[in-house]
Amino acid sequence: MPLDNILVLAAAAATEAEGGNVASEIFKQFKIYPITFACQLVNFLIVCAVLKKFAYGPVRGMLDARKKRIADGEAKLAEIEKQIAESEQRTQEAVQEANERAKRLIDEAKESAVVLGEKKTQEASAEAKGIIAKAEEAARGEKEKMHSDLKREFGRLVANTTAQVTGKVLNDDDQQRINEEAMAEVES
Amino acid sequence: MPSRSRFVALQFSRLVALLPFLFLGLGEAFAAAGHDHLPQSAEEVAKPFGIPITNSMIMVWVVALGIIILCRLATKKMQLVPSGLQNLVEWLVESLFNFFAGIMGEHLARRSFWFFATSFILILCCNWAGLIPGVGTIGLTAENAPAGDQFRPFFRGANADLNLTMAMSVTFFGLWFYWAFTEIGPKNFFAHIFAPKGDFGKLMLVLMVPLFLFVGVIEVISIAVRPVALMFRLYGNVYAGENMLETLMIMDKVPDYLKWLPALPFYFLELLVGLIQALVFVLLCAVFTKLMCEHHDEDHEESGHAEPDPEPAAGSSAANS
Repeated sequence: MPLDNILVLAAAAATEAEGGNVASEIFKQFKIYPITFACQLVNFLIVCAVLKKFAYGPVRGMLDARKKRIADGEAKLAEIEKQIAESEQRTQEAVQEANERAKRLIDEAKESAVVLGEKKTQEASAEAKGIIAKAEEAARGEKEKMHSDLKREFGRLVANTTAQVTGKVLNDDDQQRINEEAMAEVES
Repeated sequence: MPSRSRFVALQFSRLVALLPFLFLGLGEAFAAAGHDHLPQSAEEVAKPFGIPITNSMIMVWVVALGIIILCRLATKKMQLVPSGLQNLVEWLVESLFNFFAGIMGEHLARRSFWFFATSFILILCCNWAGLIPGVGTIGLTAENAPAGDQFRPFFRGANADLNLTMAMSVTFFGLWFYWAFTEIGPKNFFAHIFAPKGDFGKLMLVLMVPLFLFVGVIEVISIAVRPVALMFRLYGNVYAGENMLETLMIMDKVPDYLKWLPALPFYFLELLVGLIQALVFVLLCAVFTKLMCEHHDEDHEESGHAEPDPEPAAGSSAANS
């Protein structure tokens, strides 16, 4: 009973007071002998050693290996995420660059189209002007030709008429003079 | 003492009445059979080659064998993805390690884990195994022993033997000195006990030295008492529990077929006590270790070397400086 223990300790204290040895009294009461103590000590140490070798060692090793694997996995994941982010950034930069380039090309094309259009318009305009000038010149030449033909024909008619009316054979000077007079009359 | 025929009849009726509880691991139906009281010490069962084999030793062997077989089965084919027994043992080891690392820091926990974990597991298993029917009730009758003390059970709650609790306490204090000396060095060890703590002026320091020397002497007495307190605390609680259960089952005024009933609630209490006592023993050991080695850890953390120190001597010199 627990009371027995208290009594034993009290008895041990009394023994000590009487000059006895408390420790030996307690050892005797609780049967703590060197051999039994040594046996229990060896038992305990063997259990410690066996568990250390066959339980804690492998389990801690496995836990550490698993922890390392998880840490490696996380590091790899972080690396992959970093690579993905870099790749995305590179892609975005490339797309942005391509967009800028395309925009620049479009702007250039627009500018060159405008310039080309103006140039073509100017060319067409110049060409049209040239055609018009040529046409006018041709018309003027035609007119002058017709005018001279008309003058010649009119002179010839006038000379013929004059010759028939007067019965006079007209020389070149007469014909020239009559023509000029007739033309002056017509033109006026 | 009842006559032999009456004794046999009583045991048979108890066995029949308690059969369901025996299967549940709750009954210690035979407990009242052999003793008129539970002896304070383990009893010798055999003595081969002059070496006494006590019933608590046999209990330790059985429990240790069970633990070892369980661990071998769990760790024989370890998988990276655990399952079954491996999962259980890993959970236990990891939980215990985190528990001790929380108290002492990871470095000290790594060094001392084998001792603390084994102490906890062995104490817990021995305490709970002591509640299994058959412990303290299956044994032999010594013909030449005095009346009332003739029964010699094969098994006894292992921690109800002061030899085992003393073995664990003594082992701890041997290791405690070793860990303290290797962690902080002899100089810091004695300084931790005797040197004045805090910043004092010269005059104040001179006045404080005798005071702290006196405190140091008290601390030495405290350290010397620790193993004794540890071993008696564990022994006392376990022995008291077993004694209580046995006493409750031999109460005279209870009918024979109901003798199991008064003890029944206390089996649940003893399950709790078994766990608490295992926890208290290792917790106190861990705190004692931490208290003596904490200077070392603080120095390391301050100097930015919180990682485990591969060379204890180097750690000691750092602490000394």
